[in-house]
Amino acid sequence: MISASATAPTARLRGISKQFGATLALNNIDFDVGFGEIHAVVGENGAGKSTLIRILSGVHRPDRGQVMVDGVVRNFASPHDAIAAGIVTIPQELRLVPALSIAENIALGDLPVLRVGPLALLDRSRMDDDARAILAQLDFVPDVGRPVADLSFAERQLIAIGRALHRQCRIFILDEPTAALEQHEIERLFAVLARIKTRGTAIIYISHELDEVVAIADRCTVLRDGRLMATSRRGAFSVGDLVSAMTGRAHETTDAVSPAAGATLLETDAGGTHPIHVRAGETIGLAGLLGSGTDVQMRRLFGAARTAAPIRVKSQPRRLRGPADAIAAGIGFVPGERALGLVLNQSVRDNILLASLDRLRRGVVIERAAGERIVDELMDLLDIRPRRPELPVSALSGGNQQKVILAKWLARRVEVLLLEEPTQGIDVGAKAQIHRLIRDFIHRGGGALIASTDLAELARLCDVVLAVRQGSIVARLERADGLDEPKLRAAIGA
Amino acid sequence: MKQASTISVWRGRLAGQIPLITLIILCLVTALLTPRFLSPLNLTNILVQSSIMAVIAMGMTFVIVGGGFDLSVGSTAALAGCVAAMVMLEAGIVAGVGAGILVGAAVGLANGLVIAFLNVNPFITTLGTMVLVRGLVFLITAGAPVSGDAGLPSVFVAFGSARFLGVHLLVWVPAVLLGVLSFVMHFTPYGRSIYATGGGREAAYLSGIPVRRVIASTYIWCGALAGVAGVMLAARLQSGQPTAGEFYELTAIAAVVLGGASLHGGEGTLVKSVIGVFIMIVLGNALNLLNVDSYWQRVAVGIVIIAAAAAERLRSRK
Repeated sequence: MISASATAPTARLRGISKQFGATLALNNIDFDVGFGEIHAVVGENGAGKSTLIRILSGVHRPDRGQVMVDGVVRNFASPHDAIAAGIVTIPQELRLVPALSIAENIALGDLPVLRVGPLALLDRSRMDDDARAILAQLDFVPDVGRPVADLSFAERQLIAIGRALHRQCRIFILDEPTAALEQHEIERLFAVLARIKTRGTAIIYISHELDEVVAIADRCTVLRDGRLMATSRRGAFSVGDLVSAMTGRAHETTDAVSPAAGATLLETDAGGTHPIHVRAGETIGLAGLLGSGTDVQMRRLFGAARTAAPIRVKSQPRRLRGPADAIAAGIGFVPGERALGLVLNQSVRDNILLASLDRLRRGVVIERAAGERIVDELMDLLDIRPRRPELPVSALSGGNQQKVILAKWLARRVEVLLLEEPTQGIDVGAKAQIHRLIRDFIHRGGGALIASTDLAELARLCDVVLAVRQGSIVARLERADGLDEPKLRAAIGA
Repeated sequence: MKQASTISVWRGRLAGQIPLITLIILCLVTALLTPRFLSPLNLTNILVQSSIMAVIAMGMTFVIVGGGFDLSVGSTAALAGCVAAMVMLEAGIVAGVGAGILVGAAVGLANGLVIAFLNVNPFITTLGTMVLVRGLVFLITAGAPVSGDAGLPSVFVAFGSARFLGVHLLVWVPAVLLGVLSFVMHFTPYGRSIYATGGGREAAYLSGIPVRRVIASTYIWCGALAGVAGVMLAARLQSGQPTAGEFYELTAIAAVVLGGASLHGGEGTLVKSVIGVFIMIVLGNALNLLNVDSYWQRVAVGIVIIAAAAAERLRSRK
């Protein structure tokens, strides 16, 4: 049965075009996905992936073209219509109700009812049984009475998938499902996807992680600037092929070439066995699993943790009572969550100047012309697009937002950059640009400390990687001894 | 393509001017319906009525742009008016006016410290001070108006009706404050810090902005300006009235929202808030001139507030 339906597409888009204002977000796109198939969609930010998903899930309506489900032309007026047709999106922000139990979340919208005369009561035991049965299909056996708030992100994701199965959805759209997952969680998710695939579900898989796409997708479609560049079958594409199709350039594999390390910029007291020690012209990595405490380490160096750590900046002992102290000492922090690095409803200009307001003060006022000049220079240097400083920063793509955060610290002329997950969730093109910017920064005499769960990124960029487990640094790996992903994985215990 | 983007830019600019356009349309329609609206007497009336509310709404704008909320301004204005009157009777006009403004700033400081440093919800905190301060007003005045045996000093009372260059002194106060405070909000590092803090507190903190101090300061502005409004009110009423300023907080918040500020913080300007005040006052004035029943007036004002907020949501959803 599965083999028969696998050949017949269950969802098909024909000649879809969609225009927003002056931009053609999708240009005559054909796309389909069959039962028992995982069809990946890749492309840089702004290539049209999100628009494609939103048309399939009923959020947007196409200007031209047809959406067909099971061979029938559909016009979705709302996401409800799409769900009714069996199409469900599992977004990055899972829409679960944290205070309700696992079983309630799975049954939400379709709660089983027990009729007692005129009363309609919630049939709790049936609800719990249903939830258990569905989660068992996913190899997940939790106490279904626990509130969802107690679960990890990976577990919540399974609940969201379970809820979609409960609603009899047969076409899944997964949007960057692995962005917040650990390696073993990713493996579990892939096992789950393989299972629901063999039960005849169609899966559309959106990801920036090309390795994963190559590993899991049966077919892959590449979008660039709203056009379909290629659709290939499993085995017919590699990471390099995808990158060149996405960017129109050959795959860049520049390795870190650091200048000779200069004076010490930042060091922690050697309370543990391995102190953190950042010199000019040096990139240091902090590797650790989620929850290993790299975030606390970073925040402590920036004065934003609960407990202040004694640190030395250029050999001077400093007590950081808050970020303002750290910034005054020449340290900048790029948080992993972009919303913490940017004031989203303010303009690009205001965000770039945010950390330099005191420097731009002339008397009591801000020196506007000087600020304007800095903003123009940095937007050129970092290639922030569009080149419109008055735009609210929320209107920019993820990669450009990350560049605005870097511009904020370059405007301040900090000497040490603390970067948390600097390229998470941004496309390959922007990722390469961010890497280049970090390299330029250290070549001009800055020092960088990068905390990342992307071990390949650390292996490529860093001179030294410190492995963190349970809040303390347990190992120090140097480039001279060879840095690669398996080595780092072993060091952090993944 | 060029053309399309120019249109969208203009549409964006136009959308930012919705409060002003609303006010102009409101004035035009009223002027067409009743000729009395444009009479000098009526226009003066509108300006004077708007003046006190405008001062309060400016303070409220500081707080709301900073991501907060202040329900205590009406009570604070009453307290400031009564304290000003009492001190004035003993120690003269300057001391009285100073005391009124200071006592307002003190209430603001208390609000600010509790909200910024103890992290208590601003709604609850200022609901508390609203009731508490009103209680204090009745305690110090024993519930009776403060005007002394011979009334408040005549120079002070004259301030409530005197004119400069043909315009009421009461109107000059918000006009001057609007200029000075707009400068503070838009051209000083401190002013930009308020926007940043309200727009994203954590991001502002991680950019080195002393967010707690900034938040506390917005409440001090709000309290001090409520104090100024209270003193103006005392001059106009020729006494310190313990019941004065009731529901001012609600009118002020409504005006700020009508002016396009976001209750999530980080958005709004003083000029637009003052336009919001004019919308509220002109609407009331128009309904009065058209002899609309006062109960229906309340219904109408309520509808306008909700409609303005809903229109804002619809626009931002796009």
